[in-house]
Amino acid sequence: MKEFMLFIRSEEKPKANLSPEQLQQHIEKVGGFIKGLTEEGKMKSAQPLEMAGRILSYKNGKIIDGPYNETKEIISGYYHLLAKDLDEAIEITKGDPRFEEGIWRVEVRPIKKVEGIN
Amino acid sequence: MFVAGNLEMNKSKKKYSHELTEHFFRNEYGKIVSVITRYIGTENVETAEDIVQETLLKAVEYWQNVGIPENPEAWLYTTAKNLTLNILKRKKYHKQYESVIVKNVEELEKINFSERLIMDEQLKMMFVCCHPSISENSQIALILKILCGFSISEIANSFFSTNETINKRLVRGRKQLRKNKVSFEIPNNINENLKIVLKAIYLLFNEGYFSSKKNELIRYDLCIEAIRLVKILINSNSIKNKADCHALLALMYLNASRFEARMNADNSIIEMEKQERKKWNQELIQSGIRHLNLAIREEKNSIFLILATISANHCISPSFKETNWEEILLLYDKLVELEDSPITRLNRSVPLAKVKGNKTAIAELQKLQSNSDIGNYYLFHSTLGELYKKENEKNKAIKQFKKAISLAENKRDLDLLNKKLLEFVPN
Repeated sequence: MKEFMLFIRSEEKPKANLSPEQLQQHIEKVGGFIKGLTEEGKMKSAQPLEMAGRILSYKNGKIIDGPYNETKEIISGYYHLLAKDLDEAIEITKGDPRFEEGIWRVEVRPIKKVEGIN
Repeated sequence: MFVAGNLEMNKSKKKYSHELTEHFFRNEYGKIVSVITRYIGTENVETAEDIVQETLLKAVEYWQNVGIPENPEAWLYTTAKNLTLNILKRKKYHKQYESVIVKNVEELEKINFSERLIMDEQLKMMFVCCHPSISENSQIALILKILCGFSISEIANSFFSTNETINKRLVRGRKQLRKNKVSFEIPNNINENLKIVLKAIYLLFNEGYFSSKKNELIRYDLCIEAIRLVKILINSNSIKNKADCHALLALMYLNASRFEARMNADNSIIEMEKQERKKWNQELIQSGIRHLNLAIREEKNSIFLILATISANHCISPSFKETNWEEILLLYDKLVELEDSPITRLNRSVPLAKVKGNKTAIAELQKLQSNSDIGNYYLFHSTLGELYKKENEKNKAIKQFKKAISLAENKRDLDLLNKKLLEFVPN
């Protein structure tokens, strides 16, 4: 089994305009999807990320501390997935019901296997 | 790291794999907004809504990954409470909340979210939304938005309106609340205000029941919400005379019992004469009759009571033919005494025809047309057309149906009328 990171991307606060009823449906759909994968042993972890934080970078000899959301698109969470290969990871990702909401982009990245570390 | 992560996931899986009841978020929205408004004031009700929306967003993020907690209500209430306390304590909001802060912060910190408290605060919110200074349209919009947790577009959809129109109604309503400094409490002249609340809820129910909008699910939801709101009134300790509440609830249950049987698969309406009675929901009929009995006890004649009794007569009849039309006619006579409107008299013509014959009903309707503006209503001509049809007056019937078609406003009514016309002019 190989490991993959999935980054859930969207424009800032995509769910802010959903009604309570729609939010509940979102939990039930996406939650069900995550729960299913967890029970199959394919989801190692899935977490939301706070809409706060910083980006640190090094410039001209100093560390610069800037806001994290300079681009319009934000990563609001991640999935840590287990799959046979990239194709299977992609197939699994396609099954995420959040796509029905039309505003999400999910980035699928294999985790590099490095000898001696993982 | 992985091992520890897995263990945590398994532990939380056990605690957090519960289900949410239907419309849970929507119902909780109204409850929590009501409770918070008590602590930040009616003039800040929009802030209360923002707090609850924020709470639900947090719930989504957490619960979709970890599962539903064992006590989802408590999770929501605690989160909302903390968000509210943050706002109350933050300096920049002090000006707005000056008068409420100190005492309410202490109270809020110690709050116990009992069922009784939540019911009481929703009750107050109902009276706030139905403040007499607010127009009926705005009252209903406020109820749906604040108490029933509908979004603006969901409200617009169910009223065949636009987001802009609904938003305007909400803005106007909230403005009236601020202008009149409406406080968050049960009004002193509770009976007067109760009438207004019941009327608003009845309009809400009818919007769901008779709606021309194609979306069936949301229409039924309006009926459910109306029923839920009246139950809050009935369960309250602050309302002494509940006869009208029982009568309205009976009416809604009895009408709702026929909801399923009223519509075809293609969204067209089935008239009562042709409805499959075994599709009528017996449980709802029983609930309706139970509340009807509670309403009758008070021995006070009201419009809701008469309408409910008429509906009950239909519900308990095994077939259209066996319906107790004499009883229904008597009830309509009483109704006309209380509310002599053209529409009431139009509705009365149906049992009148059954009891005294079609010709008598036709004569009544012709008299009604010359005495009022009922001739502008498509249903008048449709009813008259049916009577002519039964008397084999083909040409007069066709004329009436054509007139009805020219006056009808929505597709569903038009479809039904066209069908009737086709029975005469098949091509």
